[in-house]
Amino acid sequence: MTSVASDPRSAPTKVAARAVNASKIYGSGEAEVRALDGISVEFADCAFTAIMGPSGSGKSTLLHCLAGLDRVTGGQIFLGDVEMSSANEKQLTLIRRDRIGFVFQAFNLIPTLDAEENITLPMALAGRKPDKEWFDTVVRTVGLADRLHHRPSELSGGQQQRVAVARALASKPDLIFADEPTGNLDSHAGAEILGFMRRAVDDFRQTIVMVTHDPVAASYADRVVFLADGKIVDEMLDPTADLVLDRLKNFGE
Amino acid sequence: MLKLTLKGLFAHKLRFALTALAVMLGVSFLSGTLVLTDTIKRTFDELFADVNKGTDAYVRSSEKLDSHLGTIRPRIPASLISEIAKSEGVARQHGSPVAQGQLQLSAQLVGKSGEPVGDPGQGAPTLGFIWDDFRQLSPWKLDTGRAPRADDEVVIDKGSADKTGYKVGDKVQILTQVAPAKYRVVGIAKFGRADSPGGASVTLFTREQAQTIARARNQFDGIAVGGQAGVSQADLVKRIRSSIDLPKIQVITGAELTKENQNEIQKSLSFFNTFLLIFALVALFVSCFIIFNTFSIVVAQRTKEMALLRAIGASGRQVMSSVLGESLVVGFLASVAGLGVGIVLAGGLKALLGSFGIDIPAGGTVLNTRTVVVALLVGTVVTVASAIAPSLRASVVPPIAAMRASALEGTESPSLLSGLSRSTKIILGVLVAIFVPGGVIILLIAWLSRKVSWLGRVALGLVVLTLGAAAILVGLFGGRIALVGVGAVVVFVGIALLGPVIARRTSRLLGSKPVAMFVLFAGALMTLAFGLATVASLVQSALALFGGKIGTALALAAAAAAAAVLAAACVNLVVAARAAFRVEGRLGTQNAERNPNRTASTAAALMIGVALVALITILASSTKASIGATIDKAFRADYIVAPKAGGFGGSGFSPELATAVKALPEIQTATGLRFGTAELDGKSKFLISADPKALNELFDLQPANTTAFENLGPDQIAVSKRIAKEKGWKVGDTVKARFPNGGTTDLTVAAKFGVGQQGGLSDYFVSLDTFSRNYPEQFDVQVYAKLKPGVSLAAGKLAMDRVVKPYANAKVEDQAGFKAKQEQSIDQFVNLIYALLFLAVIIAGIGIANTLALSIVERTREIGLLRAVGMTRSQLKSTIRWEAVIIALLGTVLGLVIGLVFGWAIVRALSDQGINKFAPPGAQLVVIVLIAALLAVLFAYFPARRAARLDVLKAISTE
Ligand SMILES: Nc1ncnc2c1ncn2[C@@H]1O[C@H](COP(=O)(O)OP(=O)(O)OP(=O)(O)O)[C@@H](O)[C@H]1O
Ligand SMILES: [Mg+2]
Repeated sequence: MTSVASDPRSAPTKVAARAVNASKIYGSGEAEVRALDGISVEFADCAFTAIMGPSGSGKSTLLHCLAGLDRVTGGQIFLGDVEMSSANEKQLTLIRRDRIGFVFQAFNLIPTLDAEENITLPMALAGRKPDKEWFDTVVRTVGLADRLHHRPSELSGGQQQRVAVARALASKPDLIFADEPTGNLDSHAGAEILGFMRRAVDDFRQTIVMVTHDPVAASYADRVVFLADGKIVDEMLDPTADLVLDRLKNFGE
Repeated sequence: MLKLTLKGLFAHKLRFALTALAVMLGVSFLSGTLVLTDTIKRTFDELFADVNKGTDAYVRSSEKLDSHLGTIRPRIPASLISEIAKSEGVARQHGSPVAQGQLQLSAQLVGKSGEPVGDPGQGAPTLGFIWDDFRQLSPWKLDTGRAPRADDEVVIDKGSADKTGYKVGDKVQILTQVAPAKYRVVGIAKFGRADSPGGASVTLFTREQAQTIARARNQFDGIAVGGQAGVSQADLVKRIRSSIDLPKIQVITGAELTKENQNEIQKSLSFFNTFLLIFALVALFVSCFIIFNTFSIVVAQRTKEMALLRAIGASGRQVMSSVLGESLVVGFLASVAGLGVGIVLAGGLKALLGSFGIDIPAGGTVLNTRTVVVALLVGTVVTVASAIAPSLRASVVPPIAAMRASALEGTESPSLLSGLSRSTKIILGVLVAIFVPGGVIILLIAWLSRKVSWLGRVALGLVVLTLGAAAILVGLFGGRIALVGVGAVVVFVGIALLGPVIARRTSRLLGSKPVAMFVLFAGALMTLAFGLATVASLVQSALALFGGKIGTALALAAAAAAAAVLAAACVNLVVAARAAFRVEGRLGTQNAERNPNRTASTAAALMIGVALVALITILASSTKASIGATIDKAFRADYIVAPKAGGFGGSGFSPELATAVKALPEIQTATGLRFGTAELDGKSKFLISADPKALNELFDLQPANTTAFENLGPDQIAVSKRIAKEKGWKVGDTVKARFPNGGTTDLTVAAKFGVGQQGGLSDYFVSLDTFSRNYPEQFDVQVYAKLKPGVSLAAGKLAMDRVVKPYANAKVEDQAGFKAKQEQSIDQFVNLIYALLFLAVIIAGIGIANTLALSIVERTREIGLLRAVGMTRSQLKSTIRWEAVIIALLGTVLGLVIGLVFGWAIVRALSDQGINKFAPPGAQLVVIVLIAALLAVLFAYFPARRAARLDVLKAISTE
């Protein structure tokens, strides 16, 4: 709605989404859990960012709040220039539909729809016709051209994740969020998916934020943000699997 | 294991509530019906006990004739009183014997503004009696005024006095078989403690006047006798018997009389009881589908839980008994609730019947032990029986299923019988043999639906369907009604078998764009018309029910509420239909398709209701078309005088009316038409009587020989050609006849005619003098009249209106008006049936809501995903509504097809009853489809709202 006016390519360091002093508190009193504890972080446009951290550190919570699936209890979340915390339920839904793409760890697809229908679902919901050329490009990229009319139950886990990635790409969103997209896949299928995501950023100038536990997966990203106890504790640019692994070992100590 | 069962129950309140609701509704109608009929029975029992309280012996004729109006006995001579007086033991009062001659006659009060009181055709009877001289024998107690002494004095019942506003001293017009006359009200009396006996309107005359009206100068219907203190009823009867030497006289005790009265009324109410019970069973049958469906879904959803139980060591039988245990608890608790609701519903049923003119007296609510036992037993057994198949399926869930990611969507469920032990199989067999047909049918369907491939299922379904249809046809054409019933059930089973296959193949069609387009436009058009009509009828019925200001206020409130709900439903239907063009529609359609068994059994519940509604609608319109055709073809009269109330029942006019009409200078020919029952050739038959010559001019009976028919004389009878052929009667043969006035008469067959019962009248015809000699009361049910040539219709009507005016219950109609009135009385009956079927349809609607609600639970993650990728709440609601509409349309269309087939078959079978035109009303059937779709949208409201309110994040992360 706002960032569309300017050409993203002319301003590569533009911020796609940011959290400003964001906090998320579950429960109260004794049972209070600070899932996000005053996080401020920016995600650059046309970049692939990975979020890492121990289990329960708030990775998914951060992702959900950024994606408009959940609301912060304090601070602010911006998607481009739009302040998410002031949007109502319906506006959030439309933002998710039109400006955000999702890849979950599992159960990404509607079982009654075939691959093609799943890919174009957000556009169908918006009543928009998909851009045929772009659709073909995406489908070719993820290698699904011959599987378009299969239902999810007729696809392997890796293929299902590819459909999910294709869906996230198909509506040309401002941002794609992925929560452990390769968590359920073997290393080969996982590498394929990560390769597609990398290409989406390099070739199609998409923006991706991905939560992962896997240092190898993180190495596909441009930047890794480390979370612990609801806070950003570190970050790393141009990560490699070994560097990330080292860093994670440090957390363990 | 029991603890687990109970925990499972209370952990899933929604599931529990929805199952219980279905059971409860089914049970409540059943128990409501039982409570109502018991209450009516008790009321009448007490009434007759009151009536005959002082009567120790009763003297009457020993001859009797059974008719559709009950047992009729000839009158006895009044002189018997003096013979009775001679016998010892008869009580005395001021020197005269306590023996009271009794006469019952038809007497209808006319209200202050000229409207007749009561409706002897359908509701409260309008009767006249003798005011008893002996207080001991009379159930009547004066409330105000005094007893009638002169011939023009009467006492009326307090109920009628309150209704009409008549007070002591007022002049009232009373209609009897003699010319209408004015009487003075000298007293108002209560009947025991009640204002009137069973809601009847009663006039009490002096003995002389009653005998004059009844044309029974020296006769009574019977004589009630009071005995001296210390003389037993049996002794008194013995003594009276010995002092009477007339033949054909019977003396019974007061207690016997009471018992007989009570039995007789019970017999005449039994039709009514059965009628209500049928609807209760329909509702129960429909609930069976819902209960079965709920348990099936629940078991499917708990597959993982059960597999886990199996994995940690529970036996298959334990898993099965946990499901059965759950059904037992639900069934029992819901039955208790249903019983409670039923008691309330009994009052509602009574009010419903009352608003259709069927006024039945019912005092304090009677709850018999039998009602409690039946309600609890039926509710529990039906629930447990419906849960058998799902529980069996649960028992064969392999432990490995616990490890599978999702067992919900899998269509491959474990084969039913494979994992069962021998003893389980035997128990299963016994259960199948014992349980109620509904349960068995459902069990069968469930079993087959798992065991057989769809091709096999189609083949089996077709075979069963054909068998059922064959049974119906054989039953219909062979006159075996029981076979028709069996066939109907078999056809239902066949359709239920085919259902899933049809569901899979047609839900796509139903969800297609042309259908959606049709629903969209028709829905929009219907919104206005249908909304207005409903509101209008609601206003009408509220006014009729309550009258006055409260009625108006209630009506307006009800109308406003109904209009709001309807408008919302219509808008939602249109939205849902619009959604069909978009992805919401596709999702809804595919959701309906993905589990054909579930869709089919949900739709089947609605199908039954719709099939019955369609059947009734078709029969009604066919009947109307047939009657209309008869009237068009045979009527040659310009005007018909018919009772305002419409029904044939006991209402009619004094023959004086026909005489007066005939005497008018504007009239060329006129005759009254009388109806009666007689025993002809050993069987009770309905016959008609009129002036044969005049009738032939006014109504074309197609006599074989006009002269013979027109000259039909005393002790002669004309019969329809069909009957003559069937019985082998020829002109000149004699037929043995017994009439209400007693004795046996030989009637000579003198003429034959073509239009018998098939033409809407009767197969037997006698002349007026034969009729008046053999029937105690002479009432013309209709009067036909034809104007002289040259007299304008308007002038003729004016003249007739003048003569008819004193007959407050009569109205002059032309052919069109007469036709409309016949249709009206059919419509009224049909509306009552609609009202009674309404509950079955509501239960089916709840079934749709139930299935959707449970499916939504199952699809929580999917819904979360849809919402995450941008489906709005309203889009989600549309999806669910559209799924509901598809299920409803499936059920409705199947129901319509069944209704049409059965309707056609029944019309064929009834062709010799006068219904010979098969006329399915297209517009009405389309309206039924639309109403079903509307209902579906209404019932989808809660599931849709629930789904829309799901928290997106929680939904995605549910297991
Ligand atoms: N709905 C909730 N109610 C209460 N606490 C919650 C809720 N959701 C998450 N939490 C808590 O918030 C914290 C962060 O959870 P979150 O799911 O973001 O962790 P995560 O980093 O994604 O962990 P994992 O790697 O295991 O997925 C945890 O301590 C968790 O227990
Ligand atoms: Mg997580």
